[in-house]
Amino acid sequence: MGLLSIIRKIKRKEKEMRILMVGLDNSGKTTIVLKINGEDTSVISPTLGFNIKTIKYQKYSLNIWDVGGQKTIRSYWRNYFEQTDGLVWVVDSSDVRRLEDCRMELANLLKEERLSGASLLIFANKQDIQGVLKPAEIAKALNLDAMDKTRHWKIFGCSAYNGEGLLEGFDWLIQDIASRIYVID
Amino acid sequence: MEDEEVEKTRASSMEVQDPIAQKKHAAMLERLSNLHQSRLQQSTSRRSATDSSSPAFESVHSFLARFSDAKRSLEAELRRFHALAASSGDAKSQIRPDLEKASAAISDLERQVAENSYFLPPYEVRSSLKTIAELKESVESAYADILPRKKFSFRSKASSNKVPTVVVQGAEEIIVSDDANSKLIARGSPGLRDLQNAVLVKHFSGEVEGDFTLADLHSCEVYLKGRFGALFIHRLRNCRIFAGPVIGSVLIEEVNDCLFMLASHQIRIHQAKDSDFYLRVRTRPIIEDCSRVRFGPYRLCYDGIDEQLKECGLHEETGNWASVDDFRWLRAVQSPNWCVISEHEFVGVTDISGLEEKNEIHGLST
Ligand SMILES: Nc1nc2c(ncn2[C@@H]2O[C@H](COP(=O)(O)OP(=O)(O)O)[C@@H](O)[C@H]2O)c(=O)[nH]1
Ligand SMILES: [Mg+2]
Repeated sequence: MGLLSIIRKIKRKEKEMRILMVGLDNSGKTTIVLKINGEDTSVISPTLGFNIKTIKYQKYSLNIWDVGGQKTIRSYWRNYFEQTDGLVWVVDSSDVRRLEDCRMELANLLKEERLSGASLLIFANKQDIQGVLKPAEIAKALNLDAMDKTRHWKIFGCSAYNGEGLLEGFDWLIQDIASRIYVID
Repeated sequence: MEDEEVEKTRASSMEVQDPIAQKKHAAMLERLSNLHQSRLQQSTSRRSATDSSSPAFESVHSFLARFSDAKRSLEAELRRFHALAASSGDAKSQIRPDLEKASAAISDLERQVAENSYFLPPYEVRSSLKTIAELKESVESAYADILPRKKFSFRSKASSNKVPTVVVQGAEEIIVSDDANSKLIARGSPGLRDLQNAVLVKHFSGEVEGDFTLADLHSCEVYLKGRFGALFIHRLRNCRIFAGPVIGSVLIEEVNDCLFMLASHQIRIHQAKDSDFYLRVRTRPIIEDCSRVRFGPYRLCYDGIDEQLKECGLHEETGNWASVDDFRWLRAVQSPNWCVISEHEFVGVTDISGLEEKNEIHGLST
């Protein structure tokens, strides 16, 4: 298959983006995906394996992969790296104790070469809980400023419960991916 | 020939686009070509590295063909299992390894769907996953047919350990970054930490509390009346914990010889040993790296708890306490790590209405 057929393939699949939701278990990944899709978030079971959702967002079709985050299956995350345009890293802003864990897992993930071109959106989730860490504090704890300069990233505070911040975050991510992948039309 | 056409495409696009768009376009082509190359490389190396049982599929058609073959043969296997199970008691023992094999084959199929999802339209991915879920269910029911659920009975260790009657009010805001070099910001997260041999009573009224932490407690009895946004439990030994409803989730890690009575939307338990959990949960409780943990229903009682449970959507007994998912035991057979507490062993309904919050610390060194 030569370049041309690649282009054909892209034409066909145009406006499709593949997004990978990752982060420690219990951070709210599944809740976020269901919330932006307008679904009931009141009975969400911890994710074993993965869920895929195709969501229409603006003029794009987002293929969202929501992968379980518990220790046992973090090593399987790499099965899902192929063709990832955007990464969403979700942090539980109330889980201070596991922040260090969170920082390490993120750093590991970003070493992955197949993800080197992917835009990175970080959600400091659960901002509805009183007294939790603010996005700026999370950014510091995760040492985001030390990230590779070529990486496009941005952090947003959000709450998957009341929806605050979710659209702002996804808007940024989609715009960033679009401006890299699709020539702006 | 193809390359020529690409050149043309490029040339014509150059005429119409401004320099920035041009650069982006070129970068896009390069990125795509890299991705494509690495995909090709991967699939060829996969093909050469593995035998025919784990092929890489390059097209939707060949994937679906193989998928439905695998599905048909698994279904035939499962029919055979059911037939055997119905025939004689002797055949049953022989089915077991076959069932395990079928189970493994299904997991393998699931992995292949994930790996090949790039080539598959979303509809095919979804329907493949649905098929896999059905196959899993079918295996599960075959297991149930031939191997009736084993009765587990662990000793009840966590039941009654009398602790000294010391009453303490929560020592808060003591979290500090344990590593001065780490850039972690320490936050005065509310909670009870580093206490021993104490009875701890906290009474929250009014607003829903935010998150609350119980950490590093040894031989303590803890009663928390009130509603919480989230509850974190870490490193407890020989403790008994009774808490009002949690709207979000409870995360429990590294506990030994404890008893918990908790109600929450989600409960995840990691590295727990020899402990009993009396739960009301909206979803199935999760255990991971646990052993000898047992489960029973939530039976806490204090003035106003019904109202609070209702507000948190936890007034109904869902029965989920008996359907634990062991993320370390991804097989259809019952996990050896947990069991249900038999009814005659249940702790009685625990009424803590009379417990008053006290602020004194009696001879407690912390
Ligand atoms: N308070 C609060 N709880 C949340 C929020 N998002 C998720 N949760 C809760 O956090 C728990 C874990 O959520 P889930 O989506 O299953 O996490 P995942 O493991 O990352 O997929 C659930 O009990 C959710 O109800 C949020 O924004 N605020
Ligand atoms: Mg999940």
